[in-house]
Amino acid sequence: MSKNRPVYEPFALEPSGRAHLVVTSLDAPPEGIEDSFDNIEVWTVKHNGPGVPVLAAGGVRPFRSTTELLAQLGHRLGRETAGLRFYAIGSEAFIWDAYNIGVAAGLHSSEISLHRAGPFVRRVYCSHCRTMIEDVPANIVTCPSCEAALFVRDHFSRRLAAFMGVKVDAEVPGEIPAAEVFTS
Amino acid sequence: MKLKIEAIGQLTSGIRKFTLAPVDGSPLPRAGAGSHVVLEIPGPNRVWKNAYSITSAADAPAYEIMVRRVEKSRGGSAWLHDHAKVGDMLEVSPPQNLFAPQRKAKRHLLLSAGIGITPFLSYLKLPGLAYEMHHCCKPEDEAAFRTLLPFGPQVTLHTSRNTLNLEALLKRQKLDTHLSVCGPESFMDVVLATAAHVGWPAAKVHKESFGGATGGEPFVAHLKRSGMTVNVGREESLLDVMEAVGLTPPCLCRGGACGECKLTVLDGVPAHHDHYLSETERAANNAIMICVSRAKTPELVLDF
Amino acid sequence: MKLSLKPQETFRDDYTYSNSDEAILRFPFPFPEDNYMYSVNMEPHVRGGASPVYNAVFDIDEHYVGDMADRAITLDQDPLRCQVLPHMETAEWDTLELLMENLANDYPEHFSLTKNGDEWHWINRPLDLDQKFTFGRAETLPFGPFEYITRQVQGDFSLQDQRDNNLYMDGGMVTSQADWSLNFDVGMSFHEWHGPVPLAHESGVFDRALQYLLRMQYGKPVRRLNWTMTANPRLDTSPENYPLWGPEKAAITPENVGHRMCLRVELQTLYRLPRSNAILFSIRGYLIRLEELAKVKKWAVRMHRVIRDLHPQIAEYKGLPRYRQYVVDYFAPHDDGRVLNSGIGPEQDNI
Repeated sequence: MSKNRPVYEPFALEPSGRAHLVVTSLDAPPEGIEDSFDNIEVWTVKHNGPGVPVLAAGGVRPFRSTTELLAQLGHRLGRETAGLRFYAIGSEAFIWDAYNIGVAAGLHSSEISLHRAGPFVRRVYCSHCRTMIEDVPANIVTCPSCEAALFVRDHFSRRLAAFMGVKVDAEVPGEIPAAEVFTS
Repeated sequence: MKLKIEAIGQLTSGIRKFTLAPVDGSPLPRAGAGSHVVLEIPGPNRVWKNAYSITSAADAPAYEIMVRRVEKSRGGSAWLHDHAKVGDMLEVSPPQNLFAPQRKAKRHLLLSAGIGITPFLSYLKLPGLAYEMHHCCKPEDEAAFRTLLPFGPQVTLHTSRNTLNLEALLKRQKLDTHLSVCGPESFMDVVLATAAHVGWPAAKVHKESFGGATGGEPFVAHLKRSGMTVNVGREESLLDVMEAVGLTPPCLCRGGACGECKLTVLDGVPAHHDHYLSETERAANNAIMICVSRAKTPELVLDF
Repeated sequence: MKLSLKPQETFRDDYTYSNSDEAILRFPFPFPEDNYMYSVNMEPHVRGGASPVYNAVFDIDEHYVGDMADRAITLDQDPLRCQVLPHMETAEWDTLELLMENLANDYPEHFSLTKNGDEWHWINRPLDLDQKFTFGRAETLPFGPFEYITRQVQGDFSLQDQRDNNLYMDGGMVTSQADWSLNFDVGMSFHEWHGPVPLAHESGVFDRALQYLLRMQYGKPVRRLNWTMTANPRLDTSPENYPLWGPEKAAITPENVGHRMCLRVELQTLYRLPRSNAILFSIRGYLIRLEELAKVKKWAVRMHRVIRDLHPQIAEYKGLPRYRQYVVDYFAPHDDGRVLNSGIGPEQDNI
């Protein structure tokens, strides 16, 4: 078992922060959040929702898709000041995409809190043709681009927000073990 | 290495500048921004070892340092102010860097007071550094410090605490800025406390500490099986001393990490400075890594 | 340092690679004892010591020309084998200076460096390069400074940024690796990029190694040896090209294991860089066919014992299981049960 597999804590607001921005790929904020602190804003995803008319601090803002949410995130963080705490809740791929936008804006990992929610699926990077394969449920997957049967190693890259996939039958073509569904 | 004092200048009444140059013109080891050197300063009864930040650029042919005369000085800075002359030779350690600027920070907020400006003077010589600097000094020293600093809105000198609104300054910094602070302990404590109060994470706040001493109190080690007794001085390690008297204890990394030089302690209490022993082993006090660790008691008896 | 270079040899396709007798005797055999386990086996990188490969700061050997030609082919096919993150530019220049100065100093008949302030003149005779450039100005070189110089030095390199009491692999030139991907690992912290190594984490080896490296000082480099095995003297055993070299592993048989199977030893050296305060990590690989290794009696006997008794998880991680028994059986006839001395030296002067 690789030692770089991220370990996730349950969601909790960080009291040392002056302001809090929570982004989630789910359609509702985490429970009880509105009662905890002032100065919290939550971004959610509501497909076919009304969209976000204007960006301003506070409240719950629904985006039409995770793509739209992530596209706006960098601009927003570019206007924030020291003391912000940033949280991402959702699939492993979503939360690490959000993490990387946070880091690009200058946040340190200690200012970012990640919480995994939803099914145990992985984004897989095909080492041979660099294709990203989304929502992979088990540790053997065929790359849709180069058709290699890949073994999904437990080795995770935060920068790519993906697990490493390497051809499983490179030594003896056709010798492919049974796939094991991910349980974490 | 032995360097000669090539030039001395007076910055303020209490701060002197020294230029330290190689004796034979050969290139000095480069000192990256944030580095310091340790000077061995000769006194009547003992040698002082004082650390000073290098203010010159990494590719300069000589090291420039600034020394504040400490009023209650035990001697090191006083000697440099009162006795050092151009042409004198000093033993200077190779540069060590425990305060390098964070390379990933897009912007640096530099806060200093008095002599604490020195590490930042080397930072300012880095081409393209994006920064905002606030330096606090006594009113009578303002003109002198101005000569050291570039002109522009990114630099502000404060001659009284009232003009530096720390809380507002720290609150308005964008997320991509790191804070570095250097000055008297009380100054640094206030800055760090204010930063924490307004939500700065510790990982983005950097303060200069010249590092813990590598030496410590002298002690005596009895090497039972060898039938020898050695004195370990302040600045040398037990391993060094044992090798100097012709013994060959096992060792490999000479840095407290590999475990090769572990010896059994039969009597006395070791002071552990290694990264190898577990918490339990440390507490049991019956083993010592001789390359880095020392003694809490005046004497140790070792199984060697 | 006197050194004669082979004009050309290949590390792929027809694999013309071979070691002269001199190269065999100077090979950095990694096993000082009859058994092997991970340890923080770092020591100061001073000239001399247990192996002749320690005599130069950066060791150049008879395979230099072919090695660098193979790197150029790999980079041509996959430019992402060399990457440096934007904040590491100062470390690039530190690296260029360190490598050029030491090559010119250790091998003056092959390399020379003259400086006139920031105007530098570098000559690399074996690769027929003559380059004038301005130190600090990347536009005066045909590649970025890190890529430029590492295309001329044997072994892979990684650049580590020191921050947050940790090391981050924020750059590298990786064309001769033992199955790890720079494009995947770039940006990872020390424990992250070592993630896949079994057993070592539990025993705290990486915690101690990291603490040691964080305290490294300028002017005091360190070194250690690491090892794997490779089917055929192939340099590019990357995950990216596993479909190419994987079948070569499966084609090892008891009849060809002596000729095709290679012991691959990494001389890892680490240097604190002065301006950037980063750490340069050199992973200098040496390949020797088992039949060449067998010409040194002590090494043949020791190989039998080490590979036979290796912990199964270590064997698995190093990619050995498929042919481990072939290797053991190949060296078994050499093992007459004699007691061997500790230490890695060959203990013979001739083949």
